[in-house]
Amino acid sequence: MKNAIETKNLTKIYNNNFTAVNSLNLEIPNKTIFGMLGPNGAGKTTTIKMLTCLIQPTSGQAVVGGYDVQKNPDEVRKLLGMVPQQVSLYKDLTVMENSQLCADYYGVPVEERDSRIEDLMELVDIKYAKDKRVGQLSGGQKQKASLVASLVHKPDILFLDEPTIGLDPTTKRTLWDLIRELNDDGHTIVLCSHDMHEVDMLCDNVGIINTGNLVAYDTPQGLKDALLESNKQEFSEALSTISNENEDSMQVNDDFSNLSLKKMSILLKEQDEAIIDSIKRSSDVKSIEIARNGRINLRIDGFDDMAVQNVLNKIISSGGIIKSIYTEEPSLEDVFIKSTSKVSEDDRA
Amino acid sequence: MIEPKKFWWMIKKELISLKRHPARLVSILAFPIIMILLFGYGMGGEMTDLPIVVVSQSHGDLTDLTLDTIKSTETYHVVEVIDDLDEGKERVDNAEVKAAIILPSDYDDDSSHQKGVTLYLDSSDQMAAQILESSTQGIFYRLSNMVAAQTSVSTKDADIEPSISHSLNNFKDDISLHINRIYGNIKYIDFLVPAILGMTIMMSCMMGMGATIAGERETGELARLFMTPTSVSTVIGGKIAAKLLIELVRALILIFMAVLLFNVSIKGGFLQTFIVLVIGALCFVGFGIMLSARTQTQEDYAQISLPFSMPMMFVSGVFYPIETMPWILQKLAYIFPLTYLNDAMRGVMLKGQTLGDVWFDLVILLGFTVLFFIVGVKRFNRDV
Repeated sequence: MKNAIETKNLTKIYNNNFTAVNSLNLEIPNKTIFGMLGPNGAGKTTTIKMLTCLIQPTSGQAVVGGYDVQKNPDEVRKLLGMVPQQVSLYKDLTVMENSQLCADYYGVPVEERDSRIEDLMELVDIKYAKDKRVGQLSGGQKQKASLVASLVHKPDILFLDEPTIGLDPTTKRTLWDLIRELNDDGHTIVLCSHDMHEVDMLCDNVGIINTGNLVAYDTPQGLKDALLESNKQEFSEALSTISNENEDSMQVNDDFSNLSLKKMSILLKEQDEAIIDSIKRSSDVKSIEIARNGRINLRIDGFDDMAVQNVLNKIISSGGIIKSIYTEEPSLEDVFIKSTSKVSEDDRA
Repeated sequence: MIEPKKFWWMIKKELISLKRHPARLVSILAFPIIMILLFGYGMGGEMTDLPIVVVSQSHGDLTDLTLDTIKSTETYHVVEVIDDLDEGKERVDNAEVKAAIILPSDYDDDSSHQKGVTLYLDSSDQMAAQILESSTQGIFYRLSNMVAAQTSVSTKDADIEPSISHSLNNFKDDISLHINRIYGNIKYIDFLVPAILGMTIMMSCMMGMGATIAGERETGELARLFMTPTSVSTVIGGKIAAKLLIELVRALILIFMAVLLFNVSIKGGFLQTFIVLVIGALCFVGFGIMLSARTQTQEDYAQISLPFSMPMMFVSGVFYPIETMPWILQKLAYIFPLTYLNDAMRGVMLKGQTLGDVWFDLVILLGFTVLFFIVGVKRFNRDV
């Protein structure tokens, strides 16, 4: 089996005619970590609910672990584990009791049950709290307890929904290590997170869902490279327009191949309040910050070449001479914003 | 198909939770006791010691006998015996007392054929007025019998509003009335307790079951269970069994307290009463499941269930016989399962009927139960 999860034209339309997922085609290779990204309301939760057999698709097909979610839901359920964002263990039961309950609900043989739970507790380092009630645990401990309960039946595929939200940096790293270990052990992991750094670090592949569609899918580096390429082209076009108009007025010291339009840092030959004011007044500039060394750090609102062109034109028309431009390499966050904003604009159009 | 091991876990989980929350356990045990105390003492008790004055304008054996009888009757608390008629009326008007019993000056006069006794009554307190009226009628009926034919008690009406004067004349009748109470001397508390038991079971089953389902849906606990290869009926069945177990303990406490505190007799036997309550509990647990099948939060559930539980409490004959209600409420009463539970409970507890005698109520209750469970499970989905 090549893919742990495959969807073909998977669609969910709710009773109020709201299309939450629209012909989603997705492939998640076996034994990989897949990052599912998307803004709030994009359709991630609905997709997960269909994949975990909590709701029925309206049309299309979803195959999980080789089983059709509509035809063999119980077979699918046996293969899945889920660590939800909100810890959903019974607060009055201990970590051990919650794990036993889950094991029995998954049909784990009694003779294996407790030893398996103990092993998992050791793996996630929560054994010391096994007789504590879940309601008495800290946020990190609860997530670990939730992991034990979700892994007790040795699921092939593990869904993690914002597993590190609200956790301190140390606990977060411990969980990251654990996720890698689980993946090394052969678990396919679907990670839903808004922490771009987390997704960038952990995931083999990333899919960005927006308004019920898959709008981007690649490795994290592949997505960033594609954005860089797109930006480079847009920036070159913007720059050539400006250069043709006022060729002598600017110097660009940086390598163009590293340019991104999202964040720009500009150093003027002579800084002038009037120039700064004209930049601040530009509707394309989202934020401006003057560094101690005189650099003007800008965040451009949007990626279209006109926005950059407008900002550079403002500087030049105010008499500014650009000494240098630094830019930052696009991050996964940039990819996310560009992917989701583009679709939103298309939708509005 | 229901899987016993998973089914048992739901019961075990509820029992562990209760064990670890003594306050919740106390609340569960205290709730029926508070209910029975509140309703039993608050609504089911008899009115006694109602303050009155007696205006006695005559002297003699009959007057003494009458005063002694009035003073020894529990219904009255004779504040004072006076001889000024105006003062007596004024004390009623000023709400110092609930009534004035006025014995006229010729009350002890053997030659007088009509003895006009007046009950000057504060009718703004309807309940007290009714009790005083019937009690006073009873006293003078007995007295008139005692003094035989030579004493004729007549009345005259008072002309001051809003008082009510009642004629209490002609007690001595040629017709002799014999009352044969076929179920014995049943007090209001006896009428009330079976229905209070039913109502308490209704409230706790509906509220408890719905709140459990909606609450677990809200916190995601239900989602975790539904992600496992387990049928909806196993999960819900387990929860029903757990709830039912707790409710049965409550029912036992309720019955025990009713007997202990109010000396309520259970003529049809304890077991039959218990079985009727179990059927009622099942029915209302089903009602809770049906209403909570799609609700997302506990707050939603409370809002949805209120329009059902509140009318059911007042229309289903808990406090007053259904026949005394306006026709529209009477019709409404028969679509509420609590009406049938109350009827069956009263049949078993008051009339000593068997389960076979109240079969119609039980069949209707079981019918409602099946309907609620079918609709509930059908409406229930795993989407949490």
